[in-house]
Amino acid sequence: MIKEGVQGAAAVAEEDPQAQSKKAQKKQQKEAEKAAKKAEKQAKLAGDQKTEEEDDFAKDRYGVAAMVQSQEKMDRSLVLVKDLSPARADELIWLRARVHTSRAKGKQCFLVLRQQQFNVQALVAVGDRASKQMVKFAANISKESIVDVEASVRKVDQKIESCSQQDVELHIERIFVISQAEARLPLQLEDAVRPEGEGDEEGRATVNQDTRLDNRVIDLRTTTSQAIFRLQSGVCQLFRDTLNKKGFVEIQTPKIISAASEGGANVFTVSYFKTSAYLAQSPQLYKQMCICADFDKVFCVGPVFRAEDSNTHRHLTEFVGLDIEMAFNYHYHEVIDSITDTMVQIFKGLRDNFQTEIQTVNKQFPSEPFKFLEPTLRLEYKEGLAMLREAGVEMGDEEDLSTPNEKLLGRLVKEKYDTDFYVLDKYPLAVRPFYTMPDPNDPKNSNSYDMFMRGEEILSGAQRIHDAQLLTERAMYHQIDLEKIKAYIDSFRFGAPPHGGGGIGLERVCMLYLGLHNVRQTSMFPRDPKRLTP
Amino acid sequence: MALRELASLEKYLGLKKPNKYSSRGDKKIPVLQNNNGPPLVGLVTIARHLVKEAKQPELLGEAAEDRAVVHQWLEYRVSKLDGCNKEESRTILKDLDLYLQDKVCMAGNHFTLADVLMYNGIHPLIMDLTFQEKERYMNVTRWFDHIQHRAGIRHHLPPVVVLRNRIYSAKHP
Repeated sequence: MIKEGVQGAAAVAEEDPQAQSKKAQKKQQKEAEKAAKKAEKQAKLAGDQKTEEEDDFAKDRYGVAAMVQSQEKMDRSLVLVKDLSPARADELIWLRARVHTSRAKGKQCFLVLRQQQFNVQALVAVGDRASKQMVKFAANISKESIVDVEASVRKVDQKIESCSQQDVELHIERIFVISQAEARLPLQLEDAVRPEGEGDEEGRATVNQDTRLDNRVIDLRTTTSQAIFRLQSGVCQLFRDTLNKKGFVEIQTPKIISAASEGGANVFTVSYFKTSAYLAQSPQLYKQMCICADFDKVFCVGPVFRAEDSNTHRHLTEFVGLDIEMAFNYHYHEVIDSITDTMVQIFKGLRDNFQTEIQTVNKQFPSEPFKFLEPTLRLEYKEGLAMLREAGVEMGDEEDLSTPNEKLLGRLVKEKYDTDFYVLDKYPLAVRPFYTMPDPNDPKNSNSYDMFMRGEEILSGAQRIHDAQLLTERAMYHQIDLEKIKAYIDSFRFGAPPHGGGGIGLERVCMLYLGLHNVRQTSMFPRDPKRLTP
Repeated sequence: MALRELASLEKYLGLKKPNKYSSRGDKKIPVLQNNNGPPLVGLVTIARHLVKEAKQPELLGEAAEDRAVVHQWLEYRVSKLDGCNKEESRTILKDLDLYLQDKVCMAGNHFTLADVLMYNGIHPLIMDLTFQEKERYMNVTRWFDHIQHRAGIRHHLPPVVVLRNRIYSAKHP
């Protein structure tokens, strides 16, 4: 090897002696010598390593495990990180977790092992269980790799502040890599959970939202994301539980529909064989048809599509709608009461069962606890307008609330009534869809309502027109093609009970409950006019 | 603008006979043709003259120290406030807010010409503020509300609604 190098260089020099000056020749020779020295060193190192490997008494205690292809059914129970407590002290356990961070320090290597939102400190130290090589291997495992670890649980004297399991640490006896992560991560988890503003002060990096969303899989591993989506699951569950108790029936409705329910402006058109169809912007028509079919009280959890080209903090083009529709006896306030009670049950359920999650999110995004009244505050649109006018806002009687006014009203209501959740009733008829029932006392008003959380709309609902004649009139007034909604109008011809309902955006509820600032934070894979992936 | 301001100042001071003004240059600097002497030029100069004319010297400050402070704010009005852009206006409001923290009027406890001119100058800035910003510059808003409700001050300028309760908490702006 060494000889070859020198000869090679010499050969080149001989071949073209005139072209190269003496200086260049000298230089080349020097380089050749250098290369030779390097090769020698490497050979020596390899030799050393070999002897080291031979010396390694712990070599079957660590390594990269074979790919799990379900070769064997191992009789090994894996303990969950969240269950690690002083009660299990001195037990020898197996667990599977991700390497969150690792830090080698001489003969020791500290690892933080993470499982979902829980983590624990682990330690590999040179001793009779682990060799020098094993510590080195542990230190070199890339972040986010998944490892199987056998370790004994030890109590610690001083609480480990940086981990969720503060009272114990793990002394690793075996460590195997189950899935290796690439060494370079597109974003660092610590950067992604840093509270807003704190990064700027300490000169540390924060991850902006687009980078997060581009690498959503990694971003979803952060404690904050884990908490948000566990809470979101809780909202759905509480919604279902509460309504089931009230005697509601869960229904599934088609999302490919032949006509838009609220005028064709903001729906997606899809090609449907030889014709075109639309993506449902709400299950409106179908839940009403179920009412006409004697289901009495129905709800539906499913995707809803809006083709609005708005890039705001609270608009998505696809979101999850929680829709309610119910028949009532004499007054549509029965419906409002039923919906507000459902919301209150959800808020209570979250407050009582998801405190850890709420606090985890609060660490990164501080906000005041969500406040609500029981029974829920109900204001009429007129009263809302009066409050705004008193604050100096100029608005027409039949004008819809603009977003800034909506937020301001939320603030005024919070100041006056100390609640983050309220209902605004009796909207002007002009700003509501055609199937909204007009107010019998004032033809300019309607029996419709919006619900607000922290001053932002989460639900829009109304008493619907259950009379085919009036419905046709209103549709014509709104210049809707009667042919296209024939099936809908026809369903009211054969006896339809008075009914009302509303639709809630799941993402918005989660965002506003937690006091977050962007609906993309509460959508797992958000869709907006500019984002279709991941 | 400045001419209208001087006209309303005249009314406030109770001067019976309105003066005739002209304006000069790109910046429309007001000029008052004085009957017994050379013409007076500039908003502050004319305003001080009017105050003397109306025999209300207390509006320029009673103690020597007050007079200096009044003069300082009159200068501030024409040099800093007039023609400031949006970014500068926020700095001005922030500074003023701090200054007014422990004061009722611009020159401490007594209403002076500085309050009148500062009110006129800051009016367009305040009109532009959102409720949240008005709350952020709470001391300015308080002073402004106080001045705009003083008899005879507001004249042609539209009133600005000021909430008495805080609706945005201090903790999470």
